[in-house]
Amino acid sequence: MIEVRDLEVRYGARTVARVPELDVAAGECVAIVGESGSGKSTTLMSLLGLTENADVSGSIKVCGLDVRTASPRELRAIRGARAALVMQSPQAALSPTTRLGTLMRRALKLHGVTADPVAAVKAVMLDPAILRRYPHEISGGQAQRFAIALAIALGAGVVLADEPTSALDVTVQAEVITVLRRLQRERDLAILLVSHDLALVSTIADRVLVMKDGEVVESGPAARVLADPSHPYTRDLLEATP
Amino acid sequence: MKAPELRRTLPRMPDRFAAAGAVLIVLVVLASLFAPWLAPYPVDDPKPLEALLPPSAEHWFGTDQVGRDVFTRVLYGGRTSLGIAVAVLAASALVGVTLGMIAGYAGGWLRDVIMRVTDVFLAFPALLLSLALAVVLQPSVTTVIVAIAVTWWPWYARLAASVAASVANRPYVDAARCLGVPAPLIVLRHVLPNSLTPVLVQVSLDAGGVILTAAALSYLGLGAHEPTAEWGLMVEQGQTLFTTNWWVVTFPGLAIVLTAFAFNVMGEGLRNALDPRSEGARGERARNEPTSREAVATINTRVVR
Amino acid sequence: MTILRAQDLTLGYGRQSVVHDVSLDVTGGGVGLIGESGSGKTTLARAFLGLLKPQKGTIWYGGQDLKKADMRAFRRDVQPVFQAESLNPRRRVGASIAEGLPDRARVGELMEQVGLDPALAVRRPHELSGGQRQRVVIARALAVGPKLLILDEPTSALDVTVQAKVLDLLAGLDTERLLITHNLAVVGRLCRTSHVLFAGRVVESGPTAELLAAPAHPYTKALRDAVPTLGGQPPQAGTSAPPAETGCPFRSRCPLAVPECERAPELREVGEGRTVACHRAEDVLTGP
Repeated sequence: MIEVRDLEVRYGARTVARVPELDVAAGECVAIVGESGSGKSTTLMSLLGLTENADVSGSIKVCGLDVRTASPRELRAIRGARAALVMQSPQAALSPTTRLGTLMRRALKLHGVTADPVAAVKAVMLDPAILRRYPHEISGGQAQRFAIALAIALGAGVVLADEPTSALDVTVQAEVITVLRRLQRERDLAILLVSHDLALVSTIADRVLVMKDGEVVESGPAARVLADPSHPYTRDLLEATP
Repeated sequence: MKAPELRRTLPRMPDRFAAAGAVLIVLVVLASLFAPWLAPYPVDDPKPLEALLPPSAEHWFGTDQVGRDVFTRVLYGGRTSLGIAVAVLAASALVGVTLGMIAGYAGGWLRDVIMRVTDVFLAFPALLLSLALAVVLQPSVTTVIVAIAVTWWPWYARLAASVAASVANRPYVDAARCLGVPAPLIVLRHVLPNSLTPVLVQVSLDAGGVILTAAALSYLGLGAHEPTAEWGLMVEQGQTLFTTNWWVVTFPGLAIVLTAFAFNVMGEGLRNALDPRSEGARGERARNEPTSREAVATINTRVVR
Repeated sequence: MTILRAQDLTLGYGRQSVVHDVSLDVTGGGVGLIGESGSGKTTLARAFLGLLKPQKGTIWYGGQDLKKADMRAFRRDVQPVFQAESLNPRRRVGASIAEGLPDRARVGELMEQVGLDPALAVRRPHELSGGQRQRVVIARALAVGPKLLILDEPTSALDVTVQAKVLDLLAGLDTERLLITHNLAVVGRLCRTSHVLFAGRVVESGPTAELLAAPAHPYTKALRDAVPTLGGQPPQAGTSAPPAETGCPFRSRCPLAVPECERAPELREVGEGRTVACHRAEDVLTGP
């Protein structure tokens, strides 16, 4: 679903992220782990063509579309409908005066998709009554799950999640993660997860990329990276993780 | 939700407007300051034989009904009008911000008292209150300043109080309180510096309004009077001549409108530049990583639309 | 040694209460207040700092009601360490540290004590990294020589590698500490005893190690199990239903809830130094 080769994102003379290889297949969860300034979010943004004012080189294919050469119209068709972005605080992106149900129906209509909003919110373990609510009436964890519901209603095959749970309490985080994992299994969803939390990542990711200062310092199956880290930075991270 | 996208499609447009406004204001201020050197004629030197001459090489803006050079009087008029604006805004901001800081930081009954007093002043229509005051006092430039300032400060008090109240909840204010720093020092060191931005923006947005109000009062004969050069007064005196000798009223009128407009545009630009959510203030970060909020906003706009 | 004591404390804003009837002692060896958002932990911290007057109950400070205590001495003894964002963005960090000092002579010394280069004193907060800012916040608190630091999520905004270093710094200070956090791992390092808050009530107290190894309250257990561990099982979803209005507040989420839970449980002892407010504590202790 995602195929990246020799990606390089530069702002002026500064290289912010360099990723030689990144693949995410359907039903797979791949995680990019790193601390602030590692370039992990930039990498994720570049996959949807959202890095403004940046020079991007290399090849990026998302759902078969070459992101770098795609027209704005093609990109728009991909974003949201095929590859959904889940951010740290999705509430900021929900129009405050629109009920969630209305919002979902509009999004479905815009992308010409027929889907049942009730089924979609049930799939993320939310009460369908939430569709009558306004964005400020729901909690952070509910907003996060609603964002995922929107993605699956639109038929997204890929979810790109940028620190989707780091603003949430651990018990709420558990709910969001459970939902993501279930969808990954049941709908063959491909998940690209960007996180600073190595412990969380280690429990759900199939493969892990560790980034530091814009470079991928280590990558491989999650179990291997945990058991036998080859880069000193990965060992530092492992040691610092409680 | 549409703002970020709009800003992308019209890059830097508001900023360019703001810059033009700032340049215009600088020009007006310089012209007023250096009026005695720039003006080709004495400010009050009636020459009845040269009355109502149309614009020409000698008199760029023509002459008025008693034969004074209109260009000269527009330059000098700027001194009065801008002087009034500066005095009104400085007095209002000083009173308003002081009271607002006290109300916002202290809260409780002190806040209630200050805010009720403010409300009383705000309850009167501003121009009406200014008019009433100007009628009671002798018509003069000072009268205009007092009359407008009295109706102007409550707005700053209200603004400053609400900003100060939110800054007072910041953790660095709590930290200072825990260190036992006395309240007046906390306000001066922590609350005031972090509350000033919106007030400054409001002041620059208001300058145009003050000039217009002062012109209105002078126009009604309640402000500056002969032989003082003041834009509003010049418009008032020239109004009957508009159909026959348009230049007498048009040039001071243009000066009022342009200056007021320039202040507004600059204030708007200042607001955009200082607002942390807007493009201009993001500075360093804009060049590094895109903020997540923008990215979502973009997507959401697209999804919703 | 008890530095601060809360007795039947009810706290809130306006007419609303967010903390109900909390009694606890801040003693030596580090005390943790564990809770998620909405648990009332930050409100409790503000009351302990003398920034919020109790609606009901008393805070005792050295045998005296805090309302009547000498506030100057109290301010010297008890200092907060908030998140790194608690620095005035417009002030140089040296000036922030000097705020509690009679003069600036000791700023450099304090900066060295928290592992900062004194040359950084002329910088403003945005010119420092998150970890450096957090050290400045700690130096500011240490300036007045406090006996007790009240730490409110001191590391949760930091990267993990930085977090570890700041925790080392905090653990090495010879002041007592009250730590307010949602992060169980941090409590384990810094606190001998801990109290778990749910919906403004203490639901479980005890030695931190025992509390985490064998929780007696289903909420403590849910909290512990939700924390992902390296290479462990993915966190399992409980539910995040709002707290129940009557009876045991946790019964709306509790997997063990029984009709009896409509009656609010009292805190009771379940072992050496351990108290819990749950009718089914024994089942939790012996359960899977």
